[in-house]
Amino acid sequence: MPNVNERPICHRAEDLVTYLYGEASEADAKDFSLHLQQCNACRGEFGVFQQVHDSILVWRNEALGSAFNPAVRPVESAVELTRSVRDGRRLSALAALREFFTVSPLWLRGATAFAAVLLCALGVLTISRSWNRPVQVTNREPVVFPNSEREPKYSKQEVDEAVRAEIARLKEQQTSTPVNEGLTTRKPTGGDRRNQLANNLVRPKALRPRGLSRQEREQLAKDLRLIPRDEDELPFVLSDEPNQ
Amino acid sequence: MDLATNDEQMVERALSGDPEAFGEIVRRWERRIFALAFGMLGREEDARDATQETFLAAFRNLRGFRGDAKVSSWLHRIAVNQCITRQRRAKVRGETALEDEAEKNAAVFALPLDSSPARTAEKIERSMAVRRAVGSLPPDLRQVIVMKEFEELTFQQISEVLELPLSTVKSRLYTALRQLQMRLQKFGD
Repeated sequence: MPNVNERPICHRAEDLVTYLYGEASEADAKDFSLHLQQCNACRGEFGVFQQVHDSILVWRNEALGSAFNPAVRPVESAVELTRSVRDGRRLSALAALREFFTVSPLWLRGATAFAAVLLCALGVLTISRSWNRPVQVTNREPVVFPNSEREPKYSKQEVDEAVRAEIARLKEQQTSTPVNEGLTTRKPTGGDRRNQLANNLVRPKALRPRGLSRQEREQLAKDLRLIPRDEDELPFVLSDEPNQ
Repeated sequence: MDLATNDEQMVERALSGDPEAFGEIVRRWERRIFALAFGMLGREEDARDATQETFLAAFRNLRGFRGDAKVSSWLHRIAVNQCITRQRRAKVRGETALEDEAEKNAAVFALPLDSSPARTAEKIERSMAVRRAVGSLPPDLRQVIVMKEFEELTFQQISEVLELPLSTVKSRLYTALRQLQMRLQKFGD
């Protein structure tokens, strides 16, 4: 490619580019073509500019030839984009989200994504916490059992009521059975014995109550200081036969 | 949509609530705007983004459109501003090295498979050289050469778009061609 700078510049530079791009009128084109035959500078520049023009055209055709692939035409995206901006009611939520991320700058996309992730995490945390929490029927304070891994399921009042009911039931049981049942000296017959065993009512021997002997009673009275050393201080007299 | 309806009438329709009017404007001008953006920016992806941004900006500022100018001129002006802004940002981010590599790869994939390696390499080098030469022009010269070579606008149209006298457009184009020749000379030697 010859160097243009080595040639003198003709004053008809504007006519040159007009002629080069075919925009000169018929008369002007004829006039300039005659000038080209006489002016070496313009002739040289015309040839050089035509090469530059051809090089740009080759690049343009290569580039735009691939760029204008129907599959990736920017037209469609631009049309859709403006249409969606124009008519927001037509957008689905997904399309609106997609459009938002397309139009937004990178920092805004990142911030939105981070906020969404944070929101999801908080939501999951809240749901998981509320899932494990027992349903509170009343506002009463629940009883917390120490060393218990499970959450309390009864209120304190409920527990108290249950305990009272159980105590009452036990008391009732005790009152319904004779007090001196264990003190009977009747020797059970073989049949009775079998019935007791069958009903699992036989008490262990060690737990069976028995009457105290006199000696034991006196010892107990002494231990409890119920017997004064002097006879005057005697508050009361122990009976010789307490169990009689 | 009626093709006889001119762009200015389309804008009026869009302003009066016609949902298809602006879409028609986009359909009419998107190829030229994309070509302009591609020539200015040198990368298909950037050009596509700039094209989208141009039409979005146009739609948002539709009410600010003055009827005394042509819609095409108005769109081109928005596109040129978008491209200059993008280039300024890219320059700040220092993306030129990566751009070159990406462009080279894109050019390799775009070429037909039956071309010989030597011819392929030469084509790639030539395209890269032209792209670099155009990209290295000052913005005022580059926009003129791109409008002329990529969009094939007339001098009159370019002067209307850039709001410059006709003679200024021609002299800028002449200067741009001279500078391009100097930059491409290395490749020809």
